Amino acid sequence: MTALLAAEWTRLAGTRLWLWGLLAALGSGALIGLLALAGPENFTPPLPGLDTAQGTHMLLGLLGFTVFAPALLGTIAVSSEYRHRTITTTTLFAPRRWTWLAAKLAIYTGAGLAYGAIAAAVAGGALFGVAMLKGITLGLPTVMVAALLARIALTMGVYTLLGVAVGALLRNQVTALVAVGAYFYMIETVLMFVPGIKVLYPYLPGGATAALTGFTYLADAVAGQTGTSAARLLSAPAGGGVLVGYALIAVAIAVAAPLRRDIM
Amino acid sequence: MNIEARGLTKAFGPISAVTDLSFEAGAGVVTGFLGPNGAGKTTTMRMMLGLVTPTSGTATFGGHRYADLPHPSAAVGAVLDGAGFHPAHTAHDHLRVYARMGRHGTARVNQVADLTGVSAFAGRPTRTLSTGMRQRLSLATALLGDPQVLLLDEPSNGLDPEGIAWLRQFVRELAADGRTILISSHVLGEIEHMADHVVVIRDGRLVTTGPITGLYGTATVLVRAPQADLFAARLMASGVRVEHPQPDLLRIHGLSTAQVAAAAASHGVTLHEITPERPTLEQAFLHLTGGSR
Repeated sequence: MTALLAAEWTRLAGTRLWLWGLLAALGSGALIGLLALAGPENFTPPLPGLDTAQGTHMLLGLLGFTVFAPALLGTIAVSSEYRHRTITTTTLFAPRRWTWLAAKLAIYTGAGLAYGAIAAAVAGGALFGVAMLKGITLGLPTVMVAALLARIALTMGVYTLLGVAVGALLRNQVTALVAVGAYFYMIETVLMFVPGIKVLYPYLPGGATAALTGFTYLADAVAGQTGTSAARLLSAPAGGGVLVGYALIAVAIAVAAPLRRDIM
Repeated sequence: MNIEARGLTKAFGPISAVTDLSFEAGAGVVTGFLGPNGAGKTTTMRMMLGLVTPTSGTATFGGHRYADLPHPSAAVGAVLDGAGFHPAHTAHDHLRVYARMGRHGTARVNQVADLTGVSAFAGRPTRTLSTGMRQRLSLATALLGDPQVLLLDEPSNGLDPEGIAWLRQFVRELAADGRTILISSHVLGEIEHMADHVVVIRDGRLVTTGPITGLYGTATVLVRAPQADLFAARLMASGVRVEHPQPDLLRIHGLSTAQVAAAAASHGVTLHEITPERPTLEQAFLHLTGGSR
């Protein structure tokens, strides 16, 4: 397994995927900094400023919305094996196919955590920097800001794991990217309007993500729209556990079926 | 390490790609795997390597299935039609990834790159490589584990004449080191100069297997002689089949040139020319597989 991990790391370092990942991490962190610099109070419509708990929470929540980006990088890691047909050589060198998938899961979860750490560090640095520049104090205590950032970074690691699992399940790069994007931006939102499904929300990927990141805008918004109370979310560790569970189910299905398919 | 295929069968839905295919490729021998396009050569090789699951049958290397070998990439190397490279990787990156994956040591990367001529373009992204360069890189990848067995699927596809000559020489050198090589092709001329044995398939079924010389069929000898009539009569009297296409020319079946020369001497016949004549491998192949398609 050490050899497979080293190979996956070499493969990641050899492509420009790591560079795009780094740029995306820096970019998403910097975007939060730019929004902070512009000031939520100057948005249209105006929102609570950085010096309020709501304003700081909202900007951090926006960073939470970018967790799909490392997930896509994880998906590309597997689907590109099929797209560029390196899957043949990879399977020749590691004939037990689950082994190379396990190596990818490990390496990309690590890469996802690094992505999260960079994005969170840049966003955190920018928030505190802007607050200093403007001579204000952030609306949330430093410890809470750090905790929320750490939860986002962790979520990004878990999402990258999910992305690799989805890539293994769907194999086709475009299908996998569309499926991941469509689910988070459309399907789950639509599901929330189906009576009865809302009870399941804490256990759906979006609900589990909200539990892990601590941002519940979607649940709150839907509750507001439908005039019902927001579903009670799981604890952060349980939310993380549910997400890892989804990833493991996807991996189990991938190992049982798509990974066994003939490689022509 | 010998290769053994037993009853390999693969059906894709109602279509049988390979049917009950059994053959052996002996240790230290170059075996040509011949068949027209679509005969099932690639499917067979992929079944042997565990990339395609056979509907039934097995393939083993030294008695082990590929996936059960203790260190597969150090025992068997394969150049397969359709295997790709990550376009952003350089040739060197590609070799490094698989050297690590196969636990072959990074020092091996430069060795195989030098051996196959990949060193000349090792720093180039694989998306910029020509077909010939890609074939060399595939071969270098297959050699990373210094395997005793090589499976080469149409390795000369896309190579220019110089590349084909290089490949032929290279395969010969690999075989001289005692490696077992199974090399598929539908271009028979190249196999003729590389293989000792052949396995011929058509429509997924075995047509014949054996020494390559066996493909040529019965030898004939062309003889030009002023007393052709007399010589033909004498030979036919002793049961030899003789054609007489021109007044002074005979085509003698079933005798070697030495036997023909000895017969001429014993009958006191002067010979002006004696030439062994054998069908080309293409003719033999077309004969064996029932005509061109």
